[in-house]
Amino acid sequence: MNWAEQIVKTLKDWETSMIVYVPDISIDQVTSLIDKDPYFRLVSATREEEAIGIAVGSYAAGRNAAVFMQSSGFGNSVNALASLCIPARTPIPMFINLRGGPGEFNIAQVVMGRAVIPIMDQLGLPHFILEDDGKMDKLLDGAMKLCHANRQPMAICLTQMLHGGKIA
Amino acid sequence: MRRFEATQLVLRLAGDSPIVSNLGPSSDELWHAGHRDRNFYTYGNMGLCSSIALGMAMATDEQIISLDGDGSILMNMGTVASIGREKPKNLTVIVWDNEQWGQTGGQTSHTGTGTDLEQVARSCGIARTKTVTDLEDLEAAVTEALASDGPNFIVAKIEEAGYLSVAPVEPEFTLYRFRNTFVAPRQPGD
Repeated sequence: MNWAEQIVKTLKDWETSMIVYVPDISIDQVTSLIDKDPYFRLVSATREEEAIGIAVGSYAAGRNAAVFMQSSGFGNSVNALASLCIPARTPIPMFINLRGGPGEFNIAQVVMGRAVIPIMDQLGLPHFILEDDGKMDKLLDGAMKLCHANRQPMAICLTQMLHGGKIA
Repeated sequence: MRRFEATQLVLRLAGDSPIVSNLGPSSDELWHAGHRDRNFYTYGNMGLCSSIALGMAMATDEQIISLDGDGSILMNMGTVASIGREKPKNLTVIVWDNEQWGQTGGQTSHTGTGTDLEQVARSCGIARTKTVTDLEDLEAAVTEALASDGPNFIVAKIEEAGYLSVAPVEPEFTLYRFRNTFVAPRQPGD
């Protein structure tokens, strides 16, 4: 089972069937699997803040949801996290393609990519960085457990070391 | 048409259907009109009222009503496109359109200078749209919407007429109460 299949399995293990995303070439390795799997409803949002809102609505109506985005788009989601998810306590796992690390080729991706973790820390939200798929099943399962126990968003950051990076 | 009377009307027509309300007076007035567990009041998250409602509509078969505002929709107009793309049959968006940002000093919004949100919705693929200016037409539009396959998008032109007191709402309790009407909460001994 590769890293993308492992994420799909974990989402199912945690009965997380509403997946809201803004497209990204690397996380497409996961979202394309989700798109083919009738267990999930895959919803394309126009912007990451909107994706958070849709996910919160789904959770509020009893269906667990997760969000997929790129680190640049994480910057668009901060107020939704701060003024909706945290005050209302919503366990929304976010799978973020973390740009700006080893292998980055685009200067415009570096600043926001490297700001994701400090911003998550400022918001007091847990986060994990995946650089390889060793023990990934345990980490993903444990992160989802934490997310629901804490009833707050949580970030799984997927790096180029894990997924091979952007092809462009 | 005043928003509070229009809110009372929608609440009466909604029956047991969940209602999501935009931040500020729309949420305060929904609380004053009639507090219930199926009111999802928002107090932050500018622009996300109808995005939250869209998520709810895709998660349940029940009729979902969004009480949004013109300024809020303008901040997140992409979500109208997402509603048009997903086409949930059970979603009715009502936009209280006062053509201003009432909470920040009454500055003229883009609907006051020509933006037509009903046409925006139509161009995003939402077939059932309406613009109403009085309570009678609003009642007819909402009654029809709740009895038909959506998505429905109703622009209700309102006059801004003072504010009721801020509702004593805790977001965490709002979500907990609302969600428990969909998911049976654990009981002692479970």
